[in-house]
Amino acid sequence: MPKDKKKEIVGYRQQSGKLSFSRPGSGGKNSFSEPRNEELIPESQGGEKKQPWGGHRHDELITGRVVGKSTSLIDSKWKVTGKAKYGDDIRLSNELIGKIIRSPHHYARILSIDVTKAIELPGVISIATGQDASNKFGVLPVTKDEHAMAVDRVRHIGDLVACVAAEDESTALEAVRLIDVEYEILDSIHDMKDGLNDSNEPIHDRGIYHIGEANIQKRVFQEFGNIESMETNSIASHKKNWFFNGVNHAATEPHAVVADWDPSGRLTLYTPQQVPHYVHRALADVLEIPMHQINVHRTFVGGGFGGKSDPFPHEMCASILARKSGRPVRITFDREEVYWINRGRHPSHIEMNLHADQEGRLCGIQTDALIDGGAFASFGHVTTYYNGVLHTAPYEIGAFHYTGARVWTNKPASGAMRGHGAVNSRCAVEVGIDDISEKLNVDPISFRLANLLPPNSATITGFRVTSIGMRECLERVMAESGWKDKFRKLPLGHGIGIGCGFFISGSGLPIHWDPNKFPHATVHLKIDMDGGVTVHTGAADIGQGSDTVVAQSVAEVLGLPLDMIRIKSRETDTSPVDLGSYSSRVTFMNANAAISAAMEIRNKLLDATSKITGAPLKKLVIGDRRIFRKDDPAVGVSYLEALHKSQEEIGALVASGAYRTPPMGRAHKGAGAGLAPAYSFSAYVAEVKVDIETGQTKVKKVWAAHDCGKALNPLAVKGQIIGSCHMGMGQVLSEEMRYGRTGNLMNTDLLDYKIPSVHEMPEVVPIIVESNDPEGPFGAKEAGEGPLLPILPAVCNAVYDAIGIRCDELPITPDRLYKNIEKKCRKLKITDPLDLPSPRLELSELQLKLEKRANEHKIRDIKRRNESKIEPYHNGALFGLDPTIPPDEIDDSWKVSVLPSEEYLQNPRLAGRAWLHAERRHRGD
Amino acid sequence: MSQYRLPMISNLDKTPWKSTVNGKSFVHSIDSNSILLDVLRDQVGTLGVKRGCDMGTCGCCAVLIDGVPKLSCLTLAQEVQETDITTVEGLSEGHHLHPIQETFAECGGSQCGFCTPGFLVVISALLNNNPSPDDDEIKNAIEGNLCRCTGYQQIVDSVRSASKILTSGNENLNGTEPLSNPNPGFVK
Repeated sequence: MPKDKKKEIVGYRQQSGKLSFSRPGSGGKNSFSEPRNEELIPESQGGEKKQPWGGHRHDELITGRVVGKSTSLIDSKWKVTGKAKYGDDIRLSNELIGKIIRSPHHYARILSIDVTKAIELPGVISIATGQDASNKFGVLPVTKDEHAMAVDRVRHIGDLVACVAAEDESTALEAVRLIDVEYEILDSIHDMKDGLNDSNEPIHDRGIYHIGEANIQKRVFQEFGNIESMETNSIASHKKNWFFNGVNHAATEPHAVVADWDPSGRLTLYTPQQVPHYVHRALADVLEIPMHQINVHRTFVGGGFGGKSDPFPHEMCASILARKSGRPVRITFDREEVYWINRGRHPSHIEMNLHADQEGRLCGIQTDALIDGGAFASFGHVTTYYNGVLHTAPYEIGAFHYTGARVWTNKPASGAMRGHGAVNSRCAVEVGIDDISEKLNVDPISFRLANLLPPNSATITGFRVTSIGMRECLERVMAESGWKDKFRKLPLGHGIGIGCGFFISGSGLPIHWDPNKFPHATVHLKIDMDGGVTVHTGAADIGQGSDTVVAQSVAEVLGLPLDMIRIKSRETDTSPVDLGSYSSRVTFMNANAAISAAMEIRNKLLDATSKITGAPLKKLVIGDRRIFRKDDPAVGVSYLEALHKSQEEIGALVASGAYRTPPMGRAHKGAGAGLAPAYSFSAYVAEVKVDIETGQTKVKKVWAAHDCGKALNPLAVKGQIIGSCHMGMGQVLSEEMRYGRTGNLMNTDLLDYKIPSVHEMPEVVPIIVESNDPEGPFGAKEAGEGPLLPILPAVCNAVYDAIGIRCDELPITPDRLYKNIEKKCRKLKITDPLDLPSPRLELSELQLKLEKRANEHKIRDIKRRNESKIEPYHNGALFGLDPTIPPDEIDDSWKVSVLPSEEYLQNPRLAGRAWLHAERRHRGD
Repeated sequence: MSQYRLPMISNLDKTPWKSTVNGKSFVHSIDSNSILLDVLRDQVGTLGVKRGCDMGTCGCCAVLIDGVPKLSCLTLAQEVQETDITTVEGLSEGHHLHPIQETFAECGGSQCGFCTPGFLVVISALLNNNPSPDDDEIKNAIEGNLCRCTGYQQIVDSVRSASKILTSGNENLNGTEPLSNPNPGFVK
């Protein structure tokens, strides 16, 4: 800041030590606590907080402090002052710069690597190749198929071949240039459909589990319900073949890592990681040292979105180089390398078939998803399941038929990205429902409202769904967007569309552990005589605010202000194991663990207060830094007094809390994929304007309702909703990883990979729906990934409402849309696109029927969520089956099958063709 | 691909580089082809300047050069000899945060925080010139910055809120208390 400007600074004047820090004991001299904020206290605890959804098991822990109030992230001051240290900001003394030699070929055998010229270059300290680390790793234990550097073959352009550490960057780059690698080029495959065929040299070899000689990494077949009658009962069907281009997370921070071996031989790895625990495991495998000799230090993470949730080869490279050279090594990616490591959303061919019967019920969903995994497995097993099973709710369906296959191709690996596996197929389902509603001449929102699963029910695949706020989401967006006055009534070029979503709130099965043995999340608390609470957690804050949520939970239970909570979540040395920030699990699992740890401390404090004051335990409540009698607030002690009393015998108070999911799910193969302790729901309405003469689509406004159970931090929830809209809007309108005719990735930079800028962003109206999940922390569910799902179909449906065209390839770029406009003009024999007819709706008799059913179901749902004893409800009841018994137990025609029948194999769909091959172990040779 | 890069020109002539960064004068010996971003991060040590794309597309590396926002990844260090450079570290004065820094934290303008320094620098220049920008002016000012987390809406909110503080007079100039409650949930 220029000197003359300094005097003009207005705003906040703060000095260290003069900040209004909280005093630990009830405001110092006051013997009374400050008044409780009754608005935040639930009715059941004598407060004023209305609870339309009934009470919650954590209600008695609400002290009316921070939960439910918009709270700025506790680390935001670091971020706004530039003091936050991201991967590349870790600068250790005497560091070396690491650079990676990458493959220029799609698929090639490495014949030789000649490093002699490079090693002689002054300033080059060490060079490593695949020979230095031959152990495989991968995020899923069943599909470890990655090496730190290619051992025999490179599998895509940009695959790691070798790495070099040098004194400075220009020397390292020069060394990269001087390394000669001799390749024998192999036949590469780029079209995922080719991956289904036998190949001379499959990209990976899975031994006896290899499927045929093809490049099929994973195949899934699932059949549930009345498969046979779904087509015969149907009066309206939807069929559509989609192609979704791949998208990249494009987090603003490129990957970076610093590895440092200390003199005792321990490794500290500084890395912006979403899942430090899996890196910890992978490092131990690759480096062949025990886990306790490794400390994974998570730096600030400059955006993850799934793109930093695999253990990465460059993390291994840095560790190997640092071990060889005895000095710290820093590797930072440039933007191009981010695209080579990728792990973005899978390019997918999805065939969607929907059937509706005369009652306006969804009597069948048939999905076939062929997804392009790129060169490695990554999270692929899970993605293949998620493409199917995550659209079995929120609607009650008569039959579900899913075939999915993930193939290897010679492209950068696809992986987990926000809305993992669910986004593309969800878009296809929701657009299908829009189409079916059109064919039935009913309003698509009414159609949805009449087909929702009730709370506390089970989906067709046996997922246990607890709280459902879907109906409220739909009703809120319908009311706030003025849906009834706009839908099918806007002029040509203007449109409005609806989309819904459903997503897991934490994965029910951990990747590595038997859930019966280890918890998913653990939190340790420590309070010494100063009164501050140190929270040790392994949850990775990647900007979503997980540190803040944990601090809020602890502060809420103990009645303390946030500045008395210190979060230590960075190092695996000091943090208990946490599975990481993926599958939207952190708020649900980690905050639950934090609450149970805080409850332990709370009980100790209440005990001590009871001893001091003689008041019975049941009468004591915690307020603001004070513990007192509920009926006589004058009788009580300050937090510090109670703390010191309970420390008399044992010194510092320590407590540990853990969370594990309850036993859930059914027994069929793959039943664990998609299981979650709770599910989030969302409904969006998007209003768009399409320029008919250019095909340019502009989203004008989005009404975004999301059921997050309870917004522990509404500011962060709104941020997640708006941010999800941004990312989804990119995928539906502008973002794609473009591969050229020869399979080259053409847009490896942010100029050609088009993220929406501030001008493309519509106004988003975030609407938070709170369904108070019975098992969530204070009722909360996830809000990070689910909100992304509905924006894609909402925009697609709005484009249809505007010009009557359904695109079948995303993103809907102007050229693609304009081609469709031209096609439609030719079909209708119209010369000027401005004369295109705009879709209109004449409601049929079915509409009244649906509205009546929706009203009945609304009453049913409210009853079900307030009842103390809840009858089971299995998907299928809408079709006249007994809701209390799983349908396959009472109805012989209700199928549950995970293997294709001979009949199906006569005429398989695209991904279903994966089942034409036999696994090697079953081929009998 | 790295293999096809031209030979790196190393051991170039070093030239002295003299500039003022955040009010402090520096003289560094730099390669004559050094990029300002590298000099700031590697030699001056202002690690708040972030490297997002290296080609002027993301705006994370924005700094003020004599009060004007520029992308340091597209600026040769030689070009900005003898100038006054302000990075995000120079926006605050000790612990006295610039209003936009404070409102970014409060309104959720920053999630992962990686793009934040670039935004703050650009917005502070906007607010210096125009303390009460309208929505279009705000959007035009930050159009060169990409944010992947927030969807920009809460960033625009932050600017509006900072603008309110700036235009509501100097009421808080000598106060020691921040406008917002640092301990949300507690009645003051």
